[in-house]
Amino acid sequence: MVKAVFTAVALAAALTAAQAGRPCEQQAPEASNVLRSMELAARTQTRLDASGAQVVVLARAGQNLSAYGLRWSHLGWAYRLPGEGNAWRVVHKLNHCGTASAALYRQGLGEFFLDDLYQYEAALVVPTPELQAQLLPLLLDNQRLAQLHTPDYSMVAYPWAQRYQQSNQWAIETLALAMEPGATSRARVQAWLQFKGYQPSTLRIGALTRLGARMTAANVAFDDHPSDKRYSDRIETVTVDSVFSWLGRSGLGGSVQLVR
Amino acid sequence: MHTLRHDTKAWKAQVWISMKTSIVVVSFALALTGPVRAHGPSSDASAVSMLPVAVSVAAPVMLLSAGATLTVLSVGAAAEGTVWVLERASDGARASITLSGQVAGGASVAVGTVVVCTAFSAGWVLSAAGKAIAYIPNQIGQALLYNERVTW
Repeated sequence: MVKAVFTAVALAAALTAAQAGRPCEQQAPEASNVLRSMELAARTQTRLDASGAQVVVLARAGQNLSAYGLRWSHLGWAYRLPGEGNAWRVVHKLNHCGTASAALYRQGLGEFFLDDLYQYEAALVVPTPELQAQLLPLLLDNQRLAQLHTPDYSMVAYPWAQRYQQSNQWAIETLALAMEPGATSRARVQAWLQFKGYQPSTLRIGALTRLGARMTAANVAFDDHPSDKRYSDRIETVTVDSVFSWLGRSGLGGSVQLVR
Repeated sequence: MHTLRHDTKAWKAQVWISMKTSIVVVSFALALTGPVRAHGPSSDASAVSMLPVAVSVAAPVMLLSAGATLTVLSVGAAAEGTVWVLERASDGARASITLSGQVAGGASVAVGTVVVCTAFSAGWVLSAAGKAIAYIPNQIGQALLYNERVTW
């Protein structure tokens, strides 16, 4: 029993650290990590410049999520600053130090990757020209960016509920807003996403792990999931991998490009 | 505590070389207009929020070369932020580095701390015992830095 509890707590800790939910560690980063992060940022900028795109979906690997069959942990919308040569910005949603709330940030590629990465690689998908054209003005407009933002955060938020919102979920709901400006509520953009065939990842998370995570992590909640799925250990949530897969399948984006 | 105050639009980099003194002065003037700053504890970008970034550096040519070992001579406060004076043990050459805002890790950088300077494609990293204590961006690095909180 002790071991089982320990395992649950360890998994909870891994869950807690996953995606955009880190505890605030008051310690300096390893110098080698800073170098590798900034070099990855520079390589990514070179790749973005060469892509010819104005807007891309950009992902990082902040944690090892292979136990869940996932490669990437977090995504944001990267866009070229209009009229400023090759400067890029990333708009994304970040959880506040393991708490139950999150906010939207506009950052440089350096900040996006300066995050104690698990793998110093990035992935990007170039959306269709039409989607880029719809997204770019929205990404420049803080009011529209915030339109569907819900501060209450759970890293395993249910994709078809509105109680919480995790980072990747905000990103695709905002994509839907860009493509369907009339869909001005989270419920309506979620209906659009379902209509367009988005399918979330299903994580197998047992009861003990759920309990451990709920007890130890403020940024993990399961009470927005339907009971039948929750009690059969099936936790559906928006993952980078599922978004990449959907963008390719739906024709909204191209293939996944790696930056090593 | 916030350590990053970047407005890349407003970065004005000026580099000049004083031939008489062989001093290279790199000054990154920051215009802190608008809500362009990181407030902490803010995000999972914890590494960068803990990493002070240099806004100006005055150092002899080649002092910031790869592998240079420096010693912290003084840690002081200035209007722009925190100022460290570093000295190279081998010849006494000194560097003055101004770090933006409040330096989160500053408390742990005491006089006498031995600092290693590592040069790379996006600038320089100063480290103590393997931990990064400051980042000095070059032009490539500046273009990669920006931090703005969009929602509150």
